[in-house]
Amino acid sequence: MSNFPLVVDNLSFRYRTRPELAIENISFELKQGELLLIAGSSGCGKTTLARCINGLIPRSYRGERSGSVLLHGKEVAEMQIPEMAQIVGTLLQDPERQIVASNVYNEIAFGPENLGLPRDEIVERVELAMKRLKIEYLRDRETFNLSGGEKQKVALAGLLSMNPSILLLDEPLASLDPASAHEALEVFRSLADEGKTVILVEHRVEDAIETHPDRLLYMEGGRIKYLGTIENLPSEIDHTQVKLPAQWVVKRVKEQKKPVETPHQHKVDEGGEPLVVFEDVSFRYSEESPLILQNVNLKINRGDLIAVLGPNGAGKSTLVKHAIGLLKPTSGRVFIQGEDTRKMSVAQIAKVLGYVFQSPTHMLYAQTVREELEFGPKNLGFEIEPMNKSVAESLSTVNLNGFEEYPPLGLSFGQQKRTTIAAVLAMQSKIMIMDEPTAGQDFANYTRFMDALCSASIDSQSILSANFASTLFITHDLDLAVTYANRVLLFGDKHIVADGKPEDVLKDTDLLLKYRVRPTSLLRLNLDLLARTKRFLPAESLAAFSF
Amino acid sequence: MLVTWKYRIRDTFIQRLDPRTRLIYMLCIIFAITLPDIWDYRIILPLFLISLTLYFLARIEWKDVKRAWLFIGVFVFFIVGLNGVLSGRGGPDSVTNIPSPVLFILPLKIPFTEIGWDIPLTIAKLWFSMVQITRMLTMAILAFPIPYTMDPNIYGTAFKRMGSSDKISFTMDLAFRFLPTLARDFSITMDAQRARGYEMDKLRGGIAARLRRLAPLIIPVVMQSTVTGEEVIDAMDLRAFGTTPRTWLKELHYQPRDYMMLAFGVSILIGCCVLKWGLGIGEFFVPDFFTILFVK
Repeated sequence: MSNFPLVVDNLSFRYRTRPELAIENISFELKQGELLLIAGSSGCGKTTLARCINGLIPRSYRGERSGSVLLHGKEVAEMQIPEMAQIVGTLLQDPERQIVASNVYNEIAFGPENLGLPRDEIVERVELAMKRLKIEYLRDRETFNLSGGEKQKVALAGLLSMNPSILLLDEPLASLDPASAHEALEVFRSLADEGKTVILVEHRVEDAIETHPDRLLYMEGGRIKYLGTIENLPSEIDHTQVKLPAQWVVKRVKEQKKPVETPHQHKVDEGGEPLVVFEDVSFRYSEESPLILQNVNLKINRGDLIAVLGPNGAGKSTLVKHAIGLLKPTSGRVFIQGEDTRKMSVAQIAKVLGYVFQSPTHMLYAQTVREELEFGPKNLGFEIEPMNKSVAESLSTVNLNGFEEYPPLGLSFGQQKRTTIAAVLAMQSKIMIMDEPTAGQDFANYTRFMDALCSASIDSQSILSANFASTLFITHDLDLAVTYANRVLLFGDKHIVADGKPEDVLKDTDLLLKYRVRPTSLLRLNLDLLARTKRFLPAESLAAFSF
Repeated sequence: MLVTWKYRIRDTFIQRLDPRTRLIYMLCIIFAITLPDIWDYRIILPLFLISLTLYFLARIEWKDVKRAWLFIGVFVFFIVGLNGVLSGRGGPDSVTNIPSPVLFILPLKIPFTEIGWDIPLTIAKLWFSMVQITRMLTMAILAFPIPYTMDPNIYGTAFKRMGSSDKISFTMDLAFRFLPTLARDFSITMDAQRARGYEMDKLRGGIAARLRRLAPLIIPVVMQSTVTGEEVIDAMDLRAFGTTPRTWLKELHYQPRDYMMLAFGVSILIGCCVLKWGLGIGEFFVPDFFTILFVK
């Protein structure tokens, strides 16, 4: 038997439906207890590599494979699923996709039950997995009622109970709030220290380096571009493709000596009447259920570009659903342009306020992108001529020209997301609200997407400021608030705990930590340089101010 | 991810029963009514009262079930009941064959045409409709409390211990949770489309046009269900489901109350079969007291 739990040798794979190779000549081996970070932008081949390691290729995904993947000296393609499932445990990007049972104990027992193990052994394994992750208190909880972080721990416990020697973690931080992500990374490190071989696939290198990976494998175009220690990461690794610590980005920008433009700030029109007003709003779903919102007071003004931060399940989505009228306050009032939402239908409010839901699959239905974009304007009673004009402009704005006749559900996730934004743009509402606009997208894609939406140059406005009087987005990503917002709301304990300019709200790092928002390297660097910059800037722009 | 029904632990006789007992008892009653084709109110009514007693013993809060009751009410009273009154079909031939006094003639006409029928509303049809509603409710109120009073963690185990294969048992487990998941997805989609100005109460046009206008709700829900299904399959594959005979961790044990309940259910089934096939009791007939109410 090989000394290496995993050996990948000259591995190439081409999907049956694609002409080009997805991965090419990949070779590396992993020692017991080693933690390997695999990074790279979308389409670099890291997911294909992961599928080759956990055996989904060649079992579930057909194509041409050459080279070999050996688990403890045995070729993956020749192994049976039960044997393989006991060697490689795969944690999927979204823990919701992984959980099958309705309660925590059953979920953790699911794998060992499938292996046909004796009852006593199953119980022992489940108890051990819960103890290892300190989640004994969750044992009788229903899985769908858990928070994002809890779900992930339960999914991980479900893997540990199968006692795999290799853990394959596929973008495990994607759906977690910053504090939960930090806790998860600590667990991954400790599992490696205990002798598990851990493969962490993650484009947010900045966060992943908290696990002190033994090596980083950086992929580009299906090939390995770099394999070595993270400290020696060469400067060719593109900081626009993976999220690197702010100091590293500054260093790279300085070395490259490229001119960097400082983004222009959105201006707040403080003189005008507020567009949305929350007046002592409290809300609960039913008489017996606890309060979700309590005495919330908020004014959204023209020019606001607001980031809403706060822990998972704090009620951020509940807050914004009050603005669109999908929920009505239990007490207090919400006004849209001076009118009480209790007296308005959702359709009436939609003329003023556009709301982009988190998941495109909950919105998209039409046969073509054009039809999808016409849906809102038709509902709002647009005439044909203005509707066509609005649809054409919206398509052009989100750079989807040429996709008019494509089926929206056949587009890539990023394109679907842009279609949902265009669908709201076409309604010509005054206010745009986005729930987790970057969810499910990798760093390179979401940075491009947010830049396109929010960045303004000196001679032209951003898409958002040109089309909307104000914008509000909910996010877990503190750096989005630092980079794009001109106002930050910190939500927790059922109400708004801080509201103001990013520079004012985000400087109180103790308050942030209290509400599970962990300061990032970009925030810390911005705070260090604030005396010189006078406002928060993206990492590249900070290069001009740092020593 | 699949969600579950609004299950809550209640210290009731019904919840103390083994889930298999409840499922088998329900099947006994369904077969007792349908296999020998019982239409005699003297048998149906006691069975209905027993089912109703069991429903109340489950002590389900009205607020939890009022929507479901609304749905059942519309289905049973308006669809089944109305069909019975108007056509007399869906039951024994004797409803329409036996001579029965006509209460009144209902003229039905297809709008904008001369085509129409004069529907005689007889006492037999009216009685049949009432018996049909009672039959349906007798069965429905046994099945209805299950999602609210049976622990979702033992759905699969219950079917496995009743002799189903691993795959069928887990399929039943997933199927039980599919409906509330569908409801959740429908609610999110509804919110997403309402935020785009969609108003369901403004559906206009003929049936085809109305169905087309429902596409913004139906297509995303169907897509979401498909995605959820594929995710569940992947997650189960990665954890070796279906490759070897599995161990079902939860154990179920019959208690004396279960044996009593099962004996009761089986007795009803046998009793109904003997009454109908052995003694010829259980056919449809209109009791005199009902006819007298209308004919002096």
